[in-house]
Amino acid sequence: MNSAEPAIELETVTKKYGDVRAVDSLDLVVERGETYGFLGPNGAGKSTTIGLLLDYLRPTSGTVRVLGHDPRRDVVEVHDRVGVLPDRFGLYEDRSARQHVALIAETKRAGDDPENLLERVGLGDAVDDEVGGFSSGMEQRLALAMALVGDPDLLILDEPFSGVDPHGVRRVREIVREENERGATVFFSSHVLGQVELVCDRIGVLHGGQLVAEGTLDDLRARTASPNDATMEDVFVELTDARVDDGGDRR
Amino acid sequence: MRWSPLARSEYRTVLTSKGAWILALLVVLWGFRPTYAGWDAVGRNITIGYVQIGVDLFLPIGALLLSYQSLINERTTGSIKFLLGLPLTRTQILLGKTGGRFVGVGTAAVAATLVLAAIGLIEHGTFALLPFLGTLVATLLFAGVMVAIGVFVSTVARRTVTAATGVFAYFLATVFWSRIVTSLYTAVTGVPVDPYDAPASGPLFLALRLTPDGAYNVLTNWFLGVGNSTELFHIVYTKLEPGVSVNAFVVEAAFDGGGPWYLHPALSLVVLLVWVVVPVALARRAFTRGDAL
Repeated sequence: MNSAEPAIELETVTKKYGDVRAVDSLDLVVERGETYGFLGPNGAGKSTTIGLLLDYLRPTSGTVRVLGHDPRRDVVEVHDRVGVLPDRFGLYEDRSARQHVALIAETKRAGDDPENLLERVGLGDAVDDEVGGFSSGMEQRLALAMALVGDPDLLILDEPFSGVDPHGVRRVREIVREENERGATVFFSSHVLGQVELVCDRIGVLHGGQLVAEGTLDDLRARTASPNDATMEDVFVELTDARVDDGGDRR
Repeated sequence: MRWSPLARSEYRTVLTSKGAWILALLVVLWGFRPTYAGWDAVGRNITIGYVQIGVDLFLPIGALLLSYQSLINERTTGSIKFLLGLPLTRTQILLGKTGGRFVGVGTAAVAATLVLAAIGLIEHGTFALLPFLGTLVATLLFAGVMVAIGVFVSTVARRTVTAATGVFAYFLATVFWSRIVTSLYTAVTGVPVDPYDAPASGPLFLALRLTPDGAYNVLTNWFLGVGNSTELFHIVYTKLEPGVSVNAFVVEAAFDGGGPWYLHPALSLVVLLVWVVVPVALARRAFTRGDAL
């Protein structure tokens, strides 16, 4: 694995479903060690892009590289070094939290103790409980524990704050920081704009399958007519509203 | 192997389900069927015949029900996103799914076989070991076939209802296979087929044994030494008894000298292997191409 190559590199990537372009000629580079916030309104193409990074989906055209690898050809190498918290996932209701984490640890051949990881995300009391009885917040914490298996070089978190209570939100944010300090690149999409603002080094705004803005929060403020103290939400709304007015491709 | 943890997880899923043990119980309850015809046919080896009777009816439906949701269920619940996120190729995922489900279903089938063997041993005394082992291997192969078909259906279907329809269609086809084949034969050749006095047609008899359950019966009848047929062993024996008229397709009854070479019972092993390889290959083709979600 070439550590000089970016963690994520997309070159003119397009993903079409029939006539609809979910992702449209997307160029995106996330450098190693960054915490990158991937924002966009519903249907902007965020989850599709994440699906392309993980070879869940295959691009109609363009090149995808993750940690220097083609995620389709080198899926084992890529998934070995990537931790994933997907959006709208399901769990195996009749299995325990420990079994969920253990399956990933055994497949990755990582020596992690499921109990430690579950403790870390705040599920220390529910290690051997069947997940059928979990709340949505607990499911989200479990999915985060599964993503952390094997100290991944890249963490891909799709809506990690979804359904999580304020304690959980803080825990997720702390873990993102800890993982980043460990050296991991963190790529996450979220609608919780305040959290993005608190955690991310750089932010990319996707709209209509295209990257309409990218940079630090200050860079994005500068691209809009937002005042210097504008919140992430103000900047986001202005950036995506502008695109809606342009009549761009929507999905 | 990288996919071993996934296979173990699938195996546990099958064996912790009630379905696997209901399957084993039904094979035992349905299979243990002491009859004079069965005893006359194979004597103490009737114990092996019990296995054939129970497996022939319940293994296909049991194995299919335990495997047809293996992937489609992951699609509908969304857990497929974790499955696909494992450091495995899509082919390895399929191997893990198929292998694990096979070991689970196979364990239930072996358990049922051993219980029937124990009952037979107590009731009738010892039986021949080699035919028993041959039947055990054929049963495992049959289980492999049904799991391969189940995983294939689960891979190509996009909705659970479609997968269930596929399973139902398979059953209809196998239940009516004899009627489908004889009707087609009559339509093509113009020769009516009377199962009491079947025409000595190689292609007709070959077509009848192309289903997994037909091939399984041919193979196990061969091990039991009763005759060359897709019917259950005691029916084959009865058909070959002089002066008895039975509506069953038995090679020795229709052909003088045993029929053409391609009706040799050993070739049913090939039929079963093809039924494993083709569904797995088609499932792999479907699962590795394009989007997996």
